[in-house]
Formats: sequence, structure tokens, C-alpha cells
Amino acid sequence: MQPIQRRLISGLVLVAGLLLIFFSADKTGASTAGRIPAPQTGFLAPEFTLSTPKGERIALSELKGRAILINLWATWCPPCRAEMPAIEKLYEKYQGQGLTVLGVNATVQDNPLDIVPFVQEYGLTFPILLDETGAVARKYELRSLPSSYFINRDGTVHYVVMGAMTEALLQTQIEEILASSN
Amino acid sequence: MLALFRSIFAPPRDLILIIAAAWLGLALSEKRARRYMLSPEMLNNLVFVLMIAFLLGGRLLYAAEHLSAFAQNALNLVSFNTDLFDPAGGVAAAAVAGFAFGQRRGLPFWRTLDALTLFFASLSVGLGLSHLASGLAFGQETAVPWAIQLWGAARHPTQIYEIIAALGILGFLWSRKSSPRAGGDFLLFVALASASQLVIGGFRGDSLLLAGGLRLQQVVAWAVLAAALISIEYLLPARAPAPAAGADTAGAAPESGNTARRKVRNAGPAVSKAKAPPRRQTKKSRGPG
Repeated sequence: MQPIQRRLISGLVLVAGLLLIFFSADKTGASTAGRIPAPQTGFLAPEFTLSTPKGERIALSELKGRAILINLWATWCPPCRAEMPAIEKLYEKYQGQGLTVLGVNATVQDNPLDIVPFVQEYGLTFPILLDETGAVARKYELRSLPSSYFINRDGTVHYVVMGAMTEALLQTQIEEILASSN
Repeated sequence: MLALFRSIFAPPRDLILIIAAAWLGLALSEKRARRYMLSPEMLNNLVFVLMIAFLLGGRLLYAAEHLSAFAQNALNLVSFNTDLFDPAGGVAAAAVAGFAFGQRRGLPFWRTLDALTLFFASLSVGLGLSHLASGLAFGQETAVPWAIQLWGAARHPTQIYEIIAALGILGFLWSRKSSPRAGGDFLLFVALASASQLVIGGFRGDSLLLAGGLRLQQVVAWAVLAAALISIEYLLPARAPAPAAGADTAGAAPESGNTARRKVRNAGPAVSKAKAPPRRQTKKSRGPG
């Protein structure tokens, strides 16, 4: 191919690229924009209402304005056990600044009799919720335990972690959701 | 099928796909290394340095950005948690380390990038597969018949578009002859990859938007495409010196990787070939061209 032909084609490709950019511009604003509930960064955190072992009911929507960590766990899961002390430690440190931790037990795949002893063993003071039907696991597309969802104060998902978290990761994500605006 | 794939390679297992693609890409690049007058061993060492620098750089930069979290427990620096990572920092560290390694070993800059082109192309396929598994880089809502159900809506399968484009680019680069111009193969890959991102970016549902709804990813892709095309046209040397006869056959390139020594070794046949009377080129004697 002659250089002049090559340059002409390159120029046409670049002009076509510019046209493509203008024609595919998103006039409606950010494509997700927290409008659809889904367990993914940028989306609205799926709503749920669950009970604690004592029968108290907690709805996610009631907590709007607070930074929330939803941690899905089970008593038989070793990584869940490994991260619990760090979650409790940081909950105690940051709850005064607006952090709420919801420990959602995947009760449908756990032994309900093991839950209260587990909570006592680790001295957990944050609310423990029982997902007895697996509805929350389905809504949050649970693929591995533990899974954690950091929710901004405006109710959108900030970050998702599948697998055990270290204290450093917990702290960095908690500080980021605490800094989010309502 | 898609659900099963996403379940098997749910994060952090999606990294297996990237590692497998990197391994395959390195094998392909090694196979082609001698075409660029590089030894496969040297290319292997370079990729090893790139990967180590990527991992170290990504972790250290993340730690630097979140000093307070790491100050309390420095052991987090060696944690296996893949979320404690800054990918952009990793890429920057790998680029610096790769450049330093190349300078130290006297590797020719453009020819080394050419030799790594298949590695990068294969890595792009792995990245697309990883996006498909994790659900990242998802598409916007659509009613097309081939839409996939993801994140609460029927969406353009942008991850699948990404995989198809990356496979096409890899296949094209694998099947064509090497460019006679040093840097030509690498810049062609950059141009094709950015062109594909420019097109696919228009279907993405997670775009960062600029004024007027312009998508940042597309603007960046267009700028990279323009830079690659201009570089191909104006910055690359017209033609690289012809490699020694049979340079693409085993044993033609030295194993030491010392370019200075290599040049001396290769100078003889290359010069004598240049002075020799013109003769009809055979497929083999044309070398990479």
C-alpha cells in the first residue's frame, strides 16, 4: 500500500472514530446511576428486611444516610471466622462516625443452633440477621462465602469483596464509605 | 452456560483466566522471539521482571495510598488479598522495571515490544474473560436478541464483544508476517486494540461521562488510536535493518541477550548479505518481512 493511501485510510478511521464518539454519547447521564438494584459497584443496594435471632426486624432502607457493611457469612466457613474479629474491631472503632455493620447469616445453608454460640464466641456486638429463605443470598448473587458489600450513605454499592478480608482492606473501604456523601 | 462460567470463575478466581492468558501469550511470544532477533530466554526473563514489578508496584502503591491502614499491621503488605492492589500502579511499576531491565540488557526497544505483542494480545483475551466472569465492564440496557441478563437488566454482552475482538486481533497478529519496521507490530496491536475499545465503549453501561455525555473511555481510546497511527506513519524508522538470514529459525539469535555482542555476531552475515548481488528472495530469506 502506498504511503498516501495509508495516510488517507488512517485519517478516515480517525474521523469515523470521532463521529462514533459523538453518536454514542450517553445523553441520559451515567448509565447505571444507582437506579437499578444490583450487587455491583454503582448500583442501588438491593433492599431486604430480616430478623435478628431475638426477633427484631431490620430493613436496609431504614439505614439510609449511614455507611453500611453487609457481610454474608456462615458458622462453618473458616474465612468467615478469620475476618470476624477485624470486623468487630472496626465496627467498635467507627460506629460513632456513622458505620453500621449487618452480619447476614446464610441460615439456609447453616445450622441455626450454631449461630448464637458463634456470636458469643467472637463477642460480636453488631446486628446479626438471619437469611432463612436464602432471599438475600439470591438478591446479592452470593457466589462464595464470605461476601461483603460496602454501601455508601446514599444507598449505592461502593465495593464488593468476595472472600475473606484483611483488616487493612476493611479499614480502607470503611473509611471510603464513611467519606461518601448522603 | 454463562451462569456456570461466572460461578466457576467468580472473583477472585477470575484471576486464573488472566494468568492462563499470560502464560499462553508468553509461549506464543517466545515462539516468535527469534523473528525479532531476541532469545526466548531473554523474553521470558523480561516478562518475569514485568510480572514481579506489577505485583510489587500495585501492592506498594495501594499501601502508600492507604498508609494508616497498613501502618497498624505491616504484614498486610504480603497479604494474599487481591483487593489490596492498585492496578494502575502495577502497570506503571512494570513499565518502569521493564524499561530499566531492557536498558541494562541492551534490548532494542521497539523490537522487544514487537516480540511482546502476542503476549499483550493474549492478555487482552484473558482480561475480557475475567470481565465476563466478574461482571465488570458491563454493557448498557438493550432489547437486542443476544442480550445477556446481568445486574438486574438485559444488557449488551460487552464482555463477549471484548473477547471476540481480542481473539480476532490475536488471530490476525499471529497469522500475519512480522512488520519489517521495528515497532510496527506493537503499534498495529495498539491501534487495533484501541479501535476495538472505541467501538465497544459505545455499548458500555459503566462509562465515566464527560460534558455532553461523551464517554471518557472512548475519548481515551481515540487518542491512543491517533497516537498509534501517527507513530506508525511518522515516528518509526522506514525499515529495520534486515535480520540475518534464517533469523527466524532456531539458533540464529544468541542466547545471552547481550545486544552489543549480538550485533557484532550478526553484523557479518547482515553486511555481507547487503553487499551481495541481488538475488531472488526465497520465503525463508525474506525473514520477518
